[in-house]
Amino acid sequence: MTRALNVPDPQDRTTVLRLAFLGGLAVLLLAALLARLWFLQVLAGDRFAALADSTRLRTVVSAAPRGHVLASDGRELVRNRPALALVADRQRLVDDAGRPRDDESERVVGRLAVLLGLEVDDVLGRINDRRYSPFRPVPVAIDVPEEVLLSVRQNQELFRGIGTDTIPVREYPEGDLAAHLVGYLGQVSREELADPAFAEYRGGDLVGRGGLEQAYESDLRGRGGQQVLVVNRRGAVIDVQSDRAPVPGLDLVTWLDLDLQREVEAALAEGIVASRSILRSDGRLLPSTAGSAVVLDARTGGVRALASFPSYDPREFVGGVSVAYWERVNDPAEYQPLTNRPIAGQYPPGSVFKVASGAAMLEAGLVGPATRVGCPAAYTAADVTFRNWNPVGEGPMDLATALKRSCDTYFYDLSFRLWQQEQRQDEPDEVLQAVARRFGFGGRLGIDLPGEQAGVVPSREWRQEFWLRYREGYCDRAETAEPGSLARELLVDLCRFGGLWRGGDAVNLSIGQGDMLATPLQVAAAYQAIANDGVLMRPTVGRELRDAEGTLVRTIEPEPLGDLGLGAAELAAIRDGLERVVMEPGGTAVGAFAGFPLDAVPVAGKTGTAERDPRVPYAWFAAYAPADAPEVVVVVSVEEGGGGSQTAAPIARRILEHVFGIERTTEVGFVPGPEILD
Amino acid sequence: MSSTVRDPAASPLRRALALLGPLRDADLVVVAAALGLTGVGLVAIHSAKAASLAAQGLPATLYTGRQAVAAAIGVVVMLVATLVDYRRFRPFVPFAYLGTVLLLVLVLTPLGTSVRGSQRWITLLGQQIQPSELMKIALLLGLAMLFHETEGVPGLGRTLLAVGLTLLPMGLVFAQPDLGTSITYLFLTGVVLLVSGTRVRWLLLIAVSGIGAFLAALRTDLIRDYQLERLTVFLGADAPDADLTGALFQTRQSMIAIGSGGTYGKGLLEGTQTALSFVPDNHTDFVFTVIGEELGFVGAASVLALFAVLLWRALRIASQALDRDAMIVAAGIGGVLVIQAFVNVGMTVGLMPVTGLPLPFLSYGGTSLISWLGMTGLLLNVHLRSRQGLIGGRW
Repeated sequence: MTRALNVPDPQDRTTVLRLAFLGGLAVLLLAALLARLWFLQVLAGDRFAALADSTRLRTVVSAAPRGHVLASDGRELVRNRPALALVADRQRLVDDAGRPRDDESERVVGRLAVLLGLEVDDVLGRINDRRYSPFRPVPVAIDVPEEVLLSVRQNQELFRGIGTDTIPVREYPEGDLAAHLVGYLGQVSREELADPAFAEYRGGDLVGRGGLEQAYESDLRGRGGQQVLVVNRRGAVIDVQSDRAPVPGLDLVTWLDLDLQREVEAALAEGIVASRSILRSDGRLLPSTAGSAVVLDARTGGVRALASFPSYDPREFVGGVSVAYWERVNDPAEYQPLTNRPIAGQYPPGSVFKVASGAAMLEAGLVGPATRVGCPAAYTAADVTFRNWNPVGEGPMDLATALKRSCDTYFYDLSFRLWQQEQRQDEPDEVLQAVARRFGFGGRLGIDLPGEQAGVVPSREWRQEFWLRYREGYCDRAETAEPGSLARELLVDLCRFGGLWRGGDAVNLSIGQGDMLATPLQVAAAYQAIANDGVLMRPTVGRELRDAEGTLVRTIEPEPLGDLGLGAAELAAIRDGLERVVMEPGGTAVGAFAGFPLDAVPVAGKTGTAERDPRVPYAWFAAYAPADAPEVVVVVSVEEGGGGSQTAAPIARRILEHVFGIERTTEVGFVPGPEILD
Repeated sequence: MSSTVRDPAASPLRRALALLGPLRDADLVVVAAALGLTGVGLVAIHSAKAASLAAQGLPATLYTGRQAVAAAIGVVVMLVATLVDYRRFRPFVPFAYLGTVLLLVLVLTPLGTSVRGSQRWITLLGQQIQPSELMKIALLLGLAMLFHETEGVPGLGRTLLAVGLTLLPMGLVFAQPDLGTSITYLFLTGVVLLVSGTRVRWLLLIAVSGIGAFLAALRTDLIRDYQLERLTVFLGADAPDADLTGALFQTRQSMIAIGSGGTYGKGLLEGTQTALSFVPDNHTDFVFTVIGEELGFVGAASVLALFAVLLWRALRIASQALDRDAMIVAAGIGGVLVIQAFVNVGMTVGLMPVTGLPLPFLSYGGTSLISWLGMTGLLLNVHLRSRQGLIGGRW
């Protein structure tokens, strides 16, 4: 047995102790690793798994082609076209602070600014537009000339980080036709992106603003495609994990008749401009600042044409609207061209409202269709005198004649009597207001366009609330007004009794004045109901939705909103009155329709001249035709356009001529009617 | 006992087999652990490289095959290191030490091969080898021999000589530059000094002066900027504004890969981060990320367990060693194994800064694998001699 001489067996105790110490240290180190692994893999494993996905997966979104907007005959009102665009790789060009990442990037941005004729800061601002995802190329310039695109493509070494792309943009084959109906597209805002309703949107996405683009956003938009790519450390694409093709948006087929729309816009614009040279009886020219025209299908409520003057050009909004243009279309001095007046303009309806108040008097049982009521030049109730538009007194007349002559005092008398009845009731039934609402006034009709206003049908309750809201202001102003003045007397009265629904209020309401407000669309709907045997339809622009192949996806059915609740005799009396307005000598619109082939196309209508002191009255004309078998309803209103017969009726006449294919019966586009301020 | 009786008529084959006789007493636990780790390493390397090699149109087993060849050579080296009585090595140890130092010098000459700024390899007999890995064995054997002669507590002279023997290759490896490996030498010497009975106060003194020297080096140009950056960035890694694309990228990606493995892992060859090469060097220094991602906590802990088994056996063998140098070699192998594993795995899980250091047995690299299998052989050798010493056998 050979043994090494100098080593004890087993190892001496010190050595064993030291080996044990070494072992202990080593075990500690391994234990530390084990604990760390436990934390990373077991405790935080899910978080790291998510992180792994986020480093490995890239989501690339492709926009779906937006649906087109078509006229009822299938002609395109809005479509898409590919636009040439310069796009920038933000991550490559700028740092987190938005400054050029390096000298080369700075030079690229500088060259781009020169090429586009912009300031360097503007170019940087576009590259840094935070509405765009950093993972998508940011459009820097849309609709760039071909040669600019070529110089970027051919000199890529000078424009590193800048690429070219084609981006689908909206195209309007009909130009600015039906601009208010169409609306425009804008980029989704940061506030909207935070809203759950916009969960499907990403920064840089376009969203419909105004008009049909907004109302049918969810149908027109389609669904964007999404590709989830697997990338490696260098960002190279290794695999496609999922691929969802974009679903194009649906095409919207509308009720619109583009030729009619063009004619309506021209008739409105030319009529308004021409009316500005009319000298009023007080020696001043008509201002005629703005106006609306509505053409509805009499049976369905479908919108055949809808025009608002002044208008704007939706093409200015393609690729982002300029600040100057945006300010101009919202400028009160320019009469806010962006406002869609037929649905958003609220005016006193004046005499066109008399169809509703007449129906109310019949319903209240104050008169029958044949009952005659006096039509004096003035009517005095509760010590206040209310004048008829006609300073010459007229004899007693029935409802139809009162409509034909637009006799104010007829309605004053009945309305005051109705008010007196109501005052004796514990809970006044307010028949006039109830009937007005049945005609579609005082509430949104629910047209498929954004921005519709409700108008006002003043009632006792409404008056009370209104007064409570503004009483302090009246009282304060009464304090400061000159003692003894009429203004002070009025303000003191308003301060004390402004919440009361008084006889004068009822009298004013009966002729569509006072606090009553209506949109041109509401007036059109009311006359549509009369023309449609008393059934009020919801005015609708959209008719059908079709997919990109043209297959019908959904029909937007015409929707009855309610019935006027009039008996046949009552409705016939009203329609008789409206026909005589246009077709019987002495009717307020007879002058405006002189020479119109009424034998072939009988027209029923109503003029209105709504006062809004201190302004020049607002002109109204509401009509349907043919009177015996109505097909269309036409409503025209002109702000500060003077008498309805004077300005609005001639415009409506021209529209009707187009609808019924009547050769222009007047030499020029607009011949003013007689100045009847009914 | 007929098999041990020499039969003059036995064939040469039988005689050759008889040479392997001592293996009957080999520590099979050590063999199993070492070969197990090697096997896991081969699988991990294959998984790390298969996808990217296939993408380049190269055979998916290119790296796996090379490493398998190294493993085969390593097993032969292990056998030789087991069977040849370590006491016969003693005369050659000084030459091995000096020869390896010479190789380290040659690495720094234009003869050396440089990869990504580090000159670590040299081509010898047509094979590229990494002398700094061999140096680990040479240094361990050299130090063991130095302290073999001592009775009881080593004197100051020997201790200082040991420090000197360490600093020489350290400097050469540091110059490559390879901070990780050169620091391993320091740990190796620390382990040797600890088990060889050096006075505790000297150990402390050496440790303190080592730290002092390192801090002093920070103030000079000796530590390169990127090394310093890795260290400082590591210390501030949790800061919210930490630049994850720069020096921390590797650590970050490594932690993501390991963490995403979860408890049971994504399955062999199923690791997404591995297949897409999100972790750079995941077949060499970062091979542990493949294990962590594909085999999960269970797999990673198992690898650590195999290291723990080797440590346990190494210390047991050390305590039973017949000779002082054998005890030192066995303890040194066990200690360095765990320290190197800690530095490497610690780097992949964000516990340690990134330094270029392979994971024993697992990282791709022939020299490293062969030298670790060789060291395993030495361990078995020491074990065999002590067994034979006890039962009276001899060779």
